[in-house]
Amino acid sequence: MPFAQALREAGMAAFVAAMLAVPLVGFRLADTSTGLRIDTRFDWVAFGVGGVFLGRLLLGLLRGRGPGSGLRLDLPKLPSNAGTLFGAGLAIFAIVMPFTPMADRYVVELAITVLIYVMLGWGLNIVVGLAGLLDLGYVAFYAVGAYSYALFAIHFGWSFWICLPIAGALAALFGVLLGFPVLRLRGDYLAIVTLGFGEMIRIVLLNWKEFSGGSAGLTSIPRPSFFGIQFTNNPDPGVIPFHEYFGLDFSPMQRITFLYYLIFALALATNFFTLRLRKLPIGRAWEALREDEIACRALGINPTNVKLSAFALGAMFGGFAGAFFATRQGFISPESFTFIESAVILAIVVLGGMGSQLGVVIAAGFLILVPELLREFSQYRMILFGLAMVLIMLWRPQGLVAHRDPSIRLGAAR
Amino acid sequence: MEYFLQQLINGLTLGAIYGLIAIGYTMVYGIVGMINFAHGEVYMIGAFVSLIAFTILGTFAFANPVVAILIVLVAAIVFTAAYGWTVERIAYRPLRGSFRLAPLISAIGVSIFLQNYVHLLQGAKMKPLQPVVTGGFVLAQDGGFAVRITYLQIGIVVATVVLMAAFTLLIQKTSLGRAQRACEQDRKMAALLGVNVDRTISITFVMGAALAAVAGLIFTLYYGAVDFFIGFLAGLKAFTAAVLGGIGSLPGAMLGGVLIGLIEAFWSAHFPIAYKDVAVFAILVIVLIFRPTGLLGRPDVEKV
Amino acid sequence: MSLLTVEHLTIRFGGLVAVDDVGFSAEDGRITAIIGPNGAGKTTVFNCLTGFYKPDVGRMTMRRDGREYLLERMDGFRIAREAGLARTFQNIRLFPRMTALENLLVAQHNELHRASFHSLAGLLGLARYRSAEKMAVERAAAWLDRVGLTHAADDEAGSLPYGDQRRLEIARAMCAGPRVLCLDEPAAGLNPKESADLAALIRDIKAREKIAVLLIEHDMSVVMEISDHIVVLDHGAKIAEGTPDHVRADPAVIAAYLGTAEDAA
Repeated sequence: MPFAQALREAGMAAFVAAMLAVPLVGFRLADTSTGLRIDTRFDWVAFGVGGVFLGRLLLGLLRGRGPGSGLRLDLPKLPSNAGTLFGAGLAIFAIVMPFTPMADRYVVELAITVLIYVMLGWGLNIVVGLAGLLDLGYVAFYAVGAYSYALFAIHFGWSFWICLPIAGALAALFGVLLGFPVLRLRGDYLAIVTLGFGEMIRIVLLNWKEFSGGSAGLTSIPRPSFFGIQFTNNPDPGVIPFHEYFGLDFSPMQRITFLYYLIFALALATNFFTLRLRKLPIGRAWEALREDEIACRALGINPTNVKLSAFALGAMFGGFAGAFFATRQGFISPESFTFIESAVILAIVVLGGMGSQLGVVIAAGFLILVPELLREFSQYRMILFGLAMVLIMLWRPQGLVAHRDPSIRLGAAR
Repeated sequence: MEYFLQQLINGLTLGAIYGLIAIGYTMVYGIVGMINFAHGEVYMIGAFVSLIAFTILGTFAFANPVVAILIVLVAAIVFTAAYGWTVERIAYRPLRGSFRLAPLISAIGVSIFLQNYVHLLQGAKMKPLQPVVTGGFVLAQDGGFAVRITYLQIGIVVATVVLMAAFTLLIQKTSLGRAQRACEQDRKMAALLGVNVDRTISITFVMGAALAAVAGLIFTLYYGAVDFFIGFLAGLKAFTAAVLGGIGSLPGAMLGGVLIGLIEAFWSAHFPIAYKDVAVFAILVIVLIFRPTGLLGRPDVEKV
Repeated sequence: MSLLTVEHLTIRFGGLVAVDDVGFSAEDGRITAIIGPNGAGKTTVFNCLTGFYKPDVGRMTMRRDGREYLLERMDGFRIAREAGLARTFQNIRLFPRMTALENLLVAQHNELHRASFHSLAGLLGLARYRSAEKMAVERAAAWLDRVGLTHAADDEAGSLPYGDQRRLEIARAMCAGPRVLCLDEPAAGLNPKESADLAALIRDIKAREKIAVLLIEHDMSVVMEISDHIVVLDHGAKIAEGTPDHVRADPAVIAAYLGTAEDAA
């Protein structure tokens, strides 16, 4: 690109940057006892605009140096079984991780959080990735699962293993109840209705104090036991806690490690279930529906039923994850179920590559771990998160793992 | 009756705000077929720019409210439009023609970014504004209850109606409007016929942002307090309004906005106020079930 | 009584009468072509038959296995599933990111889904489902063979050449097990060699499957060569009907085509 043109473009970019920066960066509203005062920060504006100018100029000049010399990052082409190998490697690492020296309390807790999002991502992957239904309110089912577990465990004292299926079933029921009227709608309408539904659930939980505890939430939710054996240092008389039963010293890590394996098993079960369903008629119908709904109808497939099944199953896994979340935290409140959560889960699915199970793991790891590493800059965390979402989409709109494995191969099937 | 009248006035004012934002959603959806998820944040930025401009004018002890509002209006429109343009240019245009969800995810990212950007730059606290326009008159009196309509409310409704009329003319009569409608129907064909599609789409975003800026200014004047979080719920409700009215239809967006404003006002008056948003969404769901194209939307015949 | 009878079919879009009082019938083992100039309402007839549009007036009756199905009262997916009408589309509608084989298996969804006992038997890997799946794959493989696409079985449908996609779509419709196969311009965009192969395929389907074929086509060489019966539409109304020779000689048809029918034939 000739220098003059690069200069002109850089000038334009700097002008736009100035337009953006002057009102919101250049002026700052400061509270005083008598009202608002205006402070100025024109030095910031100058730095910002100058930076944009130079950056754009450099980019323009670099782009001029021959074709294809722009900034391009391509993922290497991998052999087709690389995904399976990588997945297996990850699973093995996940199994031995708690026994490696790196596994202190912080690391294992963080790994649990990542696994919750992996499970949520896998659950939503059925709805968005396979069936192609845009669900912006997935967090509602997560909330239904969490609150049903908490309420049943608190009021009836039922154990985790009884409450877990109930939580899943209730979430699925909510999925069907919501899905039945709205699944006939066009994709974008579905998105907004699910978003509204997510907000409705949160508002109800926030305001129906007798039921959900309102904004204070529900506390002292029973913690999970190791198949009836409790993790505690001061058990009730006559109860043998976990460490005595196995002749160990008490350590809070025992419960955390158990929780870690619990969510690992739940997530893995979600994965196997989904992978299996994908190879069944229903899974193929989901994908066909994502590809072309009109063609599906012309082949005698009832789109509503197929969508409903995807919606209900996705909701069910959200419910399971919610139940786990409740028992892990011991405390839940509507604050954990905001729209941002739905956005994060959806971002995990789309960034991972729609329908790709491995992509979900990679994206969940990235989107949960990176903000965690940026903890020290906690005020910049969300802004960087938003920026990362945009940049990754621009870089790879089809997601990180765009490869799709056929559900069946002719040679293998005969 | 008097009470009803008062809620009607309040609802119409609120509806004007929602309607103005909803037009931005509906125009963008019409032309590029995406939910501009960040539009609520653009509105929030419009409100902030207005507040900052008012505060600057205040430090110069600027007294005439009409002139002040006009100055702020221009500033809000110009600077907010710059945000609308930039968002489209950076985050959406490269994804045009890419698969359906990519622009939406990008838009959610922009939304999160802008919210926290304003949060960082201007702080989390609710920022108050001294009333700029005061006064009004009493429409009806019944014992202790007086139905008041303020000058501000009159101004808001008048401004909205004028803007609506101007916009309808713009879309129907000018070559820009023709280009927009052409892009809406068939982008490829429009490009072949010499319509500058990129520019048309950019202008659509700029116009949507300008209207959102007006809505932001109205919000600032009417409620006298702004924070970085106002965009989310307002955006959600405005989109609901656009869908309710029939997405792609300008009068529909306005009608949807007014309906939602009225629902909120009347619900708040008679039922627990905390559940007013639930009521709005419930009505959205009901409308979509029985009239999936919205109130004024054209029924779309499926292309087979 | 015919297998499929269409009577007084009328549909309006706003003020425009797209299809005006059209009637015809389709029989087992017969190829019925619907022809006419652009905009004559041919595809609209198909869209009514397969449930995408609801006609304003008219009756479409399917009689099979001693039962009557009134198509105008059925949802599109039930028309395909219960009455047994399968179709292809003018602008091919395959599942582009799924393989050719998967496309053919989706067409057998209802049968397979029942065999998988709504996924339960499938999840458990029961023999009953495994054998059903094996049969479905065999059927799909047989059709891939008949349309000459065995080599592309595991390729993404969207990546196949245009002509292959057309034939795959026909194979997919056949895998749904129809009694009436509706083909919407199957020869559009094909070269003469591919058109000839297509004509052979359609004739082969008629001869071996003994089902009724309904055909919309512009390529008169294909139409005249393979049709048993031709219905001519113009501006939504039926202007002629009969054997190819009869239609070819009909003055109304020649007028409608401004002589092009003779040129093309």
